Amino acid sequence: MDLSALAAVDWFPLWLSLRVATLATVASLLFGLAVAYILAKYEFRGKELLDAFITLPIVLPPTVLGYYLLVVLGRNSPIGQVYEQVTGSSLVFTWQGAVIAAFIASVPFLARSARAAIESINPDLEKAARTLGLSEAAIALRITLPLAWRGIVAGTILAYARALGEFGATLMVAGNIPGQTQTMAIAIYDAVQSGNGTLAIVLTVVLSAVAMTSLLVVGRYTKGRI
Amino acid sequence: MPLLQQRQPPPSRGGFHFPERVERVWLRKLSLLILIAAVVFGGGCSGSPGDRGKAESGVNGAILVLAAADLANAFREIGERFEEETGVKVTFSFGSTGQLAQQVEQGGRADVFAAANIKYVDDLKTKGLIVSETQTLYAVGRLTIWSRKGASAHPRRLQDLAKAAIRRVAIANPAHAPYGVAAKEALEEVGVWPQVSKKLVLGENASQALQFVKSGNVDAGIVPISLAKGSGGVWELIPANLHKPLKQSMAVLKSSRNERAAGAFVRFVNSPEGRPIMKKYGFVLPQESEE
Repeated sequence: MDLSALAAVDWFPLWLSLRVATLATVASLLFGLAVAYILAKYEFRGKELLDAFITLPIVLPPTVLGYYLLVVLGRNSPIGQVYEQVTGSSLVFTWQGAVIAAFIASVPFLARSARAAIESINPDLEKAARTLGLSEAAIALRITLPLAWRGIVAGTILAYARALGEFGATLMVAGNIPGQTQTMAIAIYDAVQSGNGTLAIVLTVVLSAVAMTSLLVVGRYTKGRI
Repeated sequence: MPLLQQRQPPPSRGGFHFPERVERVWLRKLSLLILIAAVVFGGGCSGSPGDRGKAESGVNGAILVLAAADLANAFREIGERFEEETGVKVTFSFGSTGQLAQQVEQGGRADVFAAANIKYVDDLKTKGLIVSETQTLYAVGRLTIWSRKGASAHPRRLQDLAKAAIRRVAIANPAHAPYGVAAKEALEEVGVWPQVSKKLVLGENASQALQFVKSGNVDAGIVPISLAKGSGGVWELIPANLHKPLKQSMAVLKSSRNERAAGAFVRFVNSPEGRPIMKKYGFVLPQESEE
């Protein structure tokens, strides 16, 4: 391969992808964990509905998610209008829009994995803690979540992988703007479409290597414990 | 049952210690995760081209041009020339005209919108999203039948696409891509639509339709001449009278924060410097008689 092509590659999409995926994963961790805890620990009306709703993004094609996001967050919706008044700019065509798309796509992986982990904990341990006088919040933070950490870490990895690879909804909400909203996945799509085969190969190899490395690092760090 | 029920005040010392090892590991993982997040996020923020670009669009003069896919080759060249001349940095986002228009409607901020069909610009004008007086007709597009060098068959006329040797034909999606609409019109006009419609593979936009044929997965495509030129394939012009004229119109968007530079770009495309480039890529220029 022509090495001069490497020097000319703009690495912005890689940094953007990492930033978007990381922020989306952190958001998924906070939100997904809360939902998983509620689903695992409480009985209430509409529980199945909430479970189905949170799982929906796995099943729906990304184009449907993208369309929902355009409608819900776009200029003509109440949410979009509030956001625009607060920040002075619509979410469409911004990298923040890409974070939201990646968050929606990745949160079900975390929520499902964490819920299964929380449900598999021996309830006697929590009961014992309760008899010893720990508050519910303390039980959650000091007993339940620490015991469920393997499932939570596994879910986080899946969520991160999904966020890093998010394409369809991102293209619809954040668009394809080089240097602003063009993530790796979209840069590769753009390179293929414009017939730039060399760039497409370089970006594809790099993205694969980055994804593989992060999975290996996490795998090694949690070796045999997930 | 309340979500967080306070039972007794937790014992001040010697609390519940059973999962201590697990807890320490858990806290380490969490802090590592947050550390990684901070590094990536922090690193991503400092001096990334994105933030630079953002600042430029207000202060240093940069514009974002949304353009139909057929313009990719011609506009990249015009953009470079425009940058040299004015120092204004131009960023392009190429896509299907319909999708770009939809994004503008939903509040996407950009400076110039260059459509492959005047209808989309007119629509945005009705909705008050473009600066009306800047709307300009800048080119008329033409279609070609395109096949790969070395392909088993090189169709030269639309009728050839109905033959059995051609198993698949790529066009842009007529639902939202103007070149797809024109391709459909031409196929209907020569009477082969019933046969060819069964073989169609729809591209998201004209570039993708060409990409399908280039990859060898589709035998032939109906694509803009602006993409066919310099593509290294075998192509034949489709007579302009077989479809409605592909009047391509562009305008400055209301959401632009740099209307002066945006206006300058629109004029540049139609200037003595922009026109020869457009012509080179096969566009018919507005104030010129059809070839």
